[in-house]
Amino acid sequence: MSAQQPVLQLQNLTRVHGAGATEVHALRGIDLAVYPGELVAVMGPSGSGKSTLLTIAGGLDAPTSGRVIVEDTDITTASVKELAALRRRSIGYVFQDYNLIPALTAAENVALPRELDGTSSRKARVEALKALEEMGLGHLSDRFPDEMSGGQQQRVAIARALVGDRRLVLADEPTGALDSETGESVLALLRSRCDAGAAGVLVTHEPRFAAWADRVVFLRDGAIVDQTVRSEADSLLSGQVAEA
Amino acid sequence: MKTWLHSWRAAIRIARRDAWRSKGRSALVLAMIALPILGVSALDLTYRSSELSPTERADRMIGAADAQFRDPGYGGAPIFQDPIGEMSTTAKDYENTSWPSGPTDVTKTFPAGSTFLSDSSGTAKLTTKHGLLVTHVRELKAADPIARGITTLLEGRYPEKNDEVVATSRFLESSGLSVGSTLSARNFDRPYRIVGSYEIPDDLNAVQVNAVPGAFLAPYAKAVEKAGLQKPDISTTYLVRKSGGFTWNMVKELNTKGVIVASRAVILDPPATSEVPLYQKENWGNFESSAGANAAQLAAVGTVVGLAMLEICLLAGPAFAVGARRSRRQLGLVGANGGARSHIRAIVLSGGLVIGVAAAVTGTVLALILTKVLQPYLEETMGQRFGAFDIRPLEILGIALLAVLTGLLAAIVPAITASRQTVLASLTGRRGVRRSSRVLPLIGLAALLIGGAIALFGSMISQQFIVVAGGSAIAELGVVAMTPALVGLFGRAGRWLPLSPRLALRDAVRNRGRTAPAVAAVLAAVAGTVAVSTYMASEETQHRAEYTAQMPHGTVAAFVMEEGGRDVPAVREAIERYVPVDVRADVARVAVGKPSCQPWDSGPGCGRFEVVVPPANECPMYATIPGGGDASEKYTPEQRLKMITDDWRCKEGRSSGMYVSDGGLLVGDAALLKVLGLDEPATVKALADGKVVSFNPVNVDKNGMYGIKQITDLAAADKASEQGRPAPGKVVALPAYQVPGDQKSYGVQALMTPATAKAAGLATAPLGTYASTDRLPDTEARQKLDGELTKLGSNVDLRVEEGFVNDNSLILLSLAIFAGLVTVGAAGIATGLAQADAEADLKTLAAVGAPPRVRRTLSGFQCGVVAAMGVLLGSAAGVLPAMGLRLNEERQQMRWHEDAVAQGWSAASEVPYVPIVIPWETLAGLLVAVPVGAALLAALVTRSRGALSRREAT
Repeated sequence: MSAQQPVLQLQNLTRVHGAGATEVHALRGIDLAVYPGELVAVMGPSGSGKSTLLTIAGGLDAPTSGRVIVEDTDITTASVKELAALRRRSIGYVFQDYNLIPALTAAENVALPRELDGTSSRKARVEALKALEEMGLGHLSDRFPDEMSGGQQQRVAIARALVGDRRLVLADEPTGALDSETGESVLALLRSRCDAGAAGVLVTHEPRFAAWADRVVFLRDGAIVDQTVRSEADSLLSGQVAEA
Repeated sequence: MKTWLHSWRAAIRIARRDAWRSKGRSALVLAMIALPILGVSALDLTYRSSELSPTERADRMIGAADAQFRDPGYGGAPIFQDPIGEMSTTAKDYENTSWPSGPTDVTKTFPAGSTFLSDSSGTAKLTTKHGLLVTHVRELKAADPIARGITTLLEGRYPEKNDEVVATSRFLESSGLSVGSTLSARNFDRPYRIVGSYEIPDDLNAVQVNAVPGAFLAPYAKAVEKAGLQKPDISTTYLVRKSGGFTWNMVKELNTKGVIVASRAVILDPPATSEVPLYQKENWGNFESSAGANAAQLAAVGTVVGLAMLEICLLAGPAFAVGARRSRRQLGLVGANGGARSHIRAIVLSGGLVIGVAAAVTGTVLALILTKVLQPYLEETMGQRFGAFDIRPLEILGIALLAVLTGLLAAIVPAITASRQTVLASLTGRRGVRRSSRVLPLIGLAALLIGGAIALFGSMISQQFIVVAGGSAIAELGVVAMTPALVGLFGRAGRWLPLSPRLALRDAVRNRGRTAPAVAAVLAAVAGTVAVSTYMASEETQHRAEYTAQMPHGTVAAFVMEEGGRDVPAVREAIERYVPVDVRADVARVAVGKPSCQPWDSGPGCGRFEVVVPPANECPMYATIPGGGDASEKYTPEQRLKMITDDWRCKEGRSSGMYVSDGGLLVGDAALLKVLGLDEPATVKALADGKVVSFNPVNVDKNGMYGIKQITDLAAADKASEQGRPAPGKVVALPAYQVPGDQKSYGVQALMTPATAKAAGLATAPLGTYASTDRLPDTEARQKLDGELTKLGSNVDLRVEEGFVNDNSLILLSLAIFAGLVTVGAAGIATGLAQADAEADLKTLAAVGAPPRVRRTLSGFQCGVVAAMGVLLGSAAGVLPAMGLRLNEERQQMRWHEDAVAQGWSAASEVPYVPIVIPWETLAGLLVAVPVGAALLAALVTRSRGALSRREAT
């Protein structure tokens, strides 16, 4: 695994909100690398900096210092335009809820990043249908978001996050609004995509879902307090559960 | 390029579906854009359809004939005409010598081998169900193939026998008759049966009856003459058919014989201007509009279209902003999936594009349908049938494109605002205060200063109205651009307000980017309304001051000149019946010649009279000079001015007023003095004593005599007048009583009793009636009286002195309503936008214990605040240009006045009065009623619950 080039590298990342008396350190010197085929879960209490980490990793927010490297590109120095292009081609996002654009069908939602990138509608649709088929969602292709269940919507969102050449999925509490059974199915899909070669970062509250990850990173007050590989995860998580 | 196209397709797809999802908002914006497009397209369709092609024009004018021959009445003297045959004049210039006149025998000029159809017409008083109707009687063999196209048979058939006629549908409507009825004419008892109805496509309002040639006009004229009345004028034109038609050269040849020819061939293929001798003549040029006039017209149309589009953009813009605001999360998602700022802009702009295209299609299709469906009504209103339903694709497309452009322009600012939001802020729903551009208010300030300077220059230095208007328009646009900065000024007032209005004002001021377009929309509409209202109110005051009563207030008068006053008794009776008469004074006029002659009638046997002005009383400036010429030219301006101000003979005023009779001489009794308020005992006594009561000292000579000259030989009188000699005639001198002082006598300059006239050997004819009233007849009585008088078939001159009547009030009211509607609309949209933003605030308010009605009151105040700011700024921005225009007018009138005084044409005391009046009622309505109404309306339509849902657990 380590012989491969990481898809995402965070180097000495800090993020400070505000200044002077209102200064808040959201992230303090984070170092993290995510490799292809790897799903990393980020856990921590509210305000620990989980979501900030994810938004900075995806270029939606800029770090105060440190570097974010996505597939050899340092996105901290990229322009707004380059960042948008990077999100179209390299980074996929899945949020807690309302991930899909209500005005577009499932296939069109998946095809959106490709179309925005200038691919012809027909080609983008073919790619989108292929992505949906691969994930067993082909039957949903012509449905609008309000005609799908929450779980279906999240799975379509994962499909969109990985359409085309994109290999990095950043998922922020993707199961937060779902019941546990549906949540499991969404995670199963995410896991399967990572097994197929994608890299994933999953922010979650629930240890149950963190169990799907190869590695779990614990954040507290903006710093990584512990990291564990999958084999250790279960024992650690049981302790975490007790704590929670 | 291709990449760009693909990403736009996705944007358009999202916008299209979004527009469909929020149907209410989309429909509102669509209606705002589509309505003007509908109006303009329908106007274009109507205009183009009513514009006739040369063939259609020829068909309607001359039917299937090759030409129409007409006698211009120059006695056969050579003439020049325009290609269509509408204008003509003699080829030779006659200047001051007498012009040739007399009929020409047109039939002698027909080329060999041609066939023709005569088309004669005259007027007759026909008996109808209600009374008499002055009708155009035509004798055209309408069924003849040559006449095809001139008339359209609607019902029945064309007449075949001498006692049959067809009538226009408008005649049947006005007369109450129908096909199958019988009609006859006054003084002519022969009955005619109506066998059909028809219309004239070019003149749907024609009250016309068509008879077989020779069956009506000639026998009618004979009967009328026999009754001692003037026989009607009968004019005849000829529709001529000749193989090969008539070329322009043939027309010119026929012109030399004194005939006007409207030739089909020439109408279809008109000659070049250089080949039209008429256009080469001085003052007869081809009056086609010049390039400069066209450019000015185009600029005016462009300005109006531009301002209308700006107004629509200002109104629709906030609606797009609401849309972008509501779909913030969606735009954030697009950003998270790699949508760059340009993509976000594209999505919001696509919203404008989608609505614009939909509005264009809706507007155009509705315009086509409406114009087609309403065609008969449009034709009736215009009094003319369309040539063909004429659709000009390029024009319609151009108008439709304006809709698309408007949609796009309206969405530009919301698109830029939306794209400036960071993805994170959009996704998390964090609200920032949206700052408006700092450059725009500066540009606005510059425009305001430059426009103001131009307007000031226009009103102070230049005399050009257009400079003031143009400068004001630029300044207006400047104020619109400055709106965000001006809105900021209102924020300071917030401190002293209670919670809800304070919250509303702060919110409006902090979110200027959203408030400003709505305020600007209100501002623009209100400024226009206030400007026009101020201008009109000022003009009204001026007109009121300038108004001169024709008679004492409440007096009704009616005069009949025709047929020797035959209908005067009927008129008097009608007035007695419908008007609350207090005192009635019957008047007559002195008649010279046949009793049936009208005043100034030049027919055979007719004469006229003149009131003699003794040479000593003649104003030297206006004296007749033997041999012709203008006497006033002999004097210097100073002398003229002195005469006007000091010489009693030259003073105007005594002779001014309504025309009642030549020389202002009436025959009547003391009742008239009473009605006109001139019944001083000395005057009444003098009248009873058989004297002529004179109100104008110029007409009474030094011996106290009043002279009336009876002129029986009109031809000799005309010749004398041409030579600057007095007209020959018998003078009757009567003792006169000059009423002392300078009394206002309403155009009556002299009065004598019938007995005096009779004793002096003067013939009289009944003229009409004056009646003083207890109160003015109401509208219903007026209508009944009008109807009654119309039925008489005589031309009755009815006058009612109601004082100054302002006819602008309806326009002012409609303008105020328009501004009110725009204000409520714009404020409503801005409120919707504010509400979309304020959800979180409302939740917080609810959480800290605010009662449910706060949501309502807040929304009400938000709406009221926008309306109030817009109305306040608009009123200020509207009053100023109106004042500028009035000042400009005052300067111009003062200059004319000064010129007139310097030239000695006017007294220095008659200074023009050009007041500036602020229409306080309109302003009060706009400043108070509209914002309050808008606020109440917003409060009423806002749900008081909704925001008070439980806060989401996080």
